[in-house]
Amino acid sequence: MSLSAARPVITVYGEKNEPSGTTCSLPAVYKAPIRPDIVSVIHHEIAKNHRQAYAVNQDSGHQTSAESWGTGRAVARIPRVRGGGTHRSGQGAYGNMCRGGHMFAPTKTWRRWHRKVNVAQKRYAMCSAIAATGVPALVMAKGHRIENIPEVPLVVSDKIQSYNKTKEAVILLRRLKAWSDIEQVYNTKRMRAGKGKMRNRRRVQKLGPLVIYANDQGLTRAFRNIPGVDTICVDNLNLLKLAPGGHVGRFCIWTESAFKKLDALYGTWRKASSEKKNWNLPQPKMAQTDLAKLLKSEEIRKVLRAPNKKIYKAVMKTNPLKNTRAMVQLNPYAVVQKKNAELLAAKRLREKAAVKAKKAGQKPAPQPNVKRAAALAKKGKAKKGKGKK
Amino acid sequence: MQHDDVIWSIINKSFCQYKSQTKTQKFCRNEYNLTGLCSRASCPLANSQYATVREEEGVCYLYMKTIERAAFPARLWEKVKLSRNLEQAMRQLEENLVFWPGFIKQKCKQRLLKIAQYLTRMRKLRLKRQKKLVPLQRKIERRERRREEKALVAARIDNQIEKELLERLKRGTYGDIYNFSQKAFDQALNAEEVEDEEDEAEEEVEGEFEEEVEEEMDEELTREFVAADDFDQSESEDEAESDIEDGPGGRALTGGQSPDEATSSDEEPASEPRVRVRSTRRKPRVEMEVETEEPTAPRIRQKLKA
Repeated sequence: MSLSAARPVITVYGEKNEPSGTTCSLPAVYKAPIRPDIVSVIHHEIAKNHRQAYAVNQDSGHQTSAESWGTGRAVARIPRVRGGGTHRSGQGAYGNMCRGGHMFAPTKTWRRWHRKVNVAQKRYAMCSAIAATGVPALVMAKGHRIENIPEVPLVVSDKIQSYNKTKEAVILLRRLKAWSDIEQVYNTKRMRAGKGKMRNRRRVQKLGPLVIYANDQGLTRAFRNIPGVDTICVDNLNLLKLAPGGHVGRFCIWTESAFKKLDALYGTWRKASSEKKNWNLPQPKMAQTDLAKLLKSEEIRKVLRAPNKKIYKAVMKTNPLKNTRAMVQLNPYAVVQKKNAELLAAKRLREKAAVKAKKAGQKPAPQPNVKRAAALAKKGKAKKGKGKK
Repeated sequence: MQHDDVIWSIINKSFCQYKSQTKTQKFCRNEYNLTGLCSRASCPLANSQYATVREEEGVCYLYMKTIERAAFPARLWEKVKLSRNLEQAMRQLEENLVFWPGFIKQKCKQRLLKIAQYLTRMRKLRLKRQKKLVPLQRKIERRERRREEKALVAARIDNQIEKELLERLKRGTYGDIYNFSQKAFDQALNAEEVEDEEDEAEEEVEGEFEEEVEEEMDEELTREFVAADDFDQSESEDEAESDIEDGPGGRALTGGQSPDEATSSDEEPASEPRVRVRSTRRKPRVEMEVETEEPTAPRIRQKLKA
């Protein structure tokens, strides 16, 4: 299939899922190379940035004045607690193997929690993620139920930016046939497995569509109570929201103005981005990614030499004992042998017949080729004579 | 294809919601998948030109998708209804998928064939009887089995069998022909002797009262016969005859009864001041008949008086 899989014109849909009449051209971001490896790595790096530090108390295990008893006391040399009069005296202290000692490598707050990621890499990942949301197969594979939405990418008119009521938002999603994705969210509501339950992460659910707007006139408030729906402004697009889990292909619903801003934000290859300093869309490594098609193309075929095909014809094996030709191939003298055998057999038959005829008093049958034999014999004699001469 | 190869490389390596994997194989749960396996050629997501045959309520449809409609999921699949006739449906497949890759054509035809086969099989099964599978409840089964065993023990079948056989004997269903074991016969005899002595004594002393009581008791226990002692074989014949005379309607006797024994019934002594419909009390006098081994020959009857 050709590159025209990315078609240039996208219809904007109205609130009632009817084409509103306006169209947008496809922003070039959607043709950016989709690099799931980059997205995954960058996502995980960026995800580290909103972590909170954890550590053990720095005093743990050190609030004793223990000292080793040294050698000669028939005990291990671990530092032991001083004094007497209590259970604690003489017990081992300080080591990670001791009860009441510090842990191995006590965790510190000054661990490097956050990661610095190059801006260009972050932008690259962003472009890939946005491009992936334009491929319906990837969005479906990720798990969103988009079998019935009118178009991908889904662009809706700017009216939804001024929605105030959740009811309106729900009606819009229903009309756009995006509600089945929300239903899936409802179906996947469950309790987390593991200790996260008691760490304020009790409930888990699937993620639904992401609504991207340019101007928030109430949209966030309308959509925020619908489970699974996220809202985000196009100026602050977030990789963590566009490729949750490091996997590309979230279901996105754009408003018209947000969609139109994408070209300005990320640039087209012809024109650099105006919003982002010093940024243009990443160049793909391969312009034509269909390897199979490439290899069969004329340009490549022309340069190749013809294949060295050796065609083996299947030969039927014939039995030399039954098939004379096969026998002759193996043993050319076989012809002579066969002929002699034939003649001998014929001769014997004649003799038998002659004896029989004599007994019956009849004339025996004439020998075949008698005249011929005689003529040959004559010739032979003549030749012999010549040769001698 | 900017997309197909890229899509496949992402779906295959990374996550796909339709992929379900076992140790040896990868399956695809996408409803449009032609083979049900997750592979490059049969992934409906990774092939922009794809076709399937699906069956809905007995009708087969051909679904096709082309790259032109790849961006419009609502209109992606074109649905063509296939004829019910398999041959015609195959021809329809041929003409609709004329220039399509061989793999898809082949698999569509195979799928159609398989669907047609299982539909005919379903129709045949519907006409046959269906086995209804009923689940057994283990607890209940165990309980019932235990109870059956207990009931079997409680029923004391042996005793009932014995009783039944005796009754039949008395009734005379076995006729005169019955070989008693010598031992049992002697036992019965002895028992009889003892009883008779007792009976006589009782009669003299207490009169009919006891007998009446006993008889009443007997009557309560068994309706039609006088209650038998444990093993009164010989008496049963006598009593059976008397029952014939006394009892209403009589009983059909399979064996012929000789008229000689009829006399025994007359010997009922003063044990019945009251008129009783059918009680024949054991007489003090016992008449027993012992048969020799040849039933056909005239029987030698030895009347023994107790």
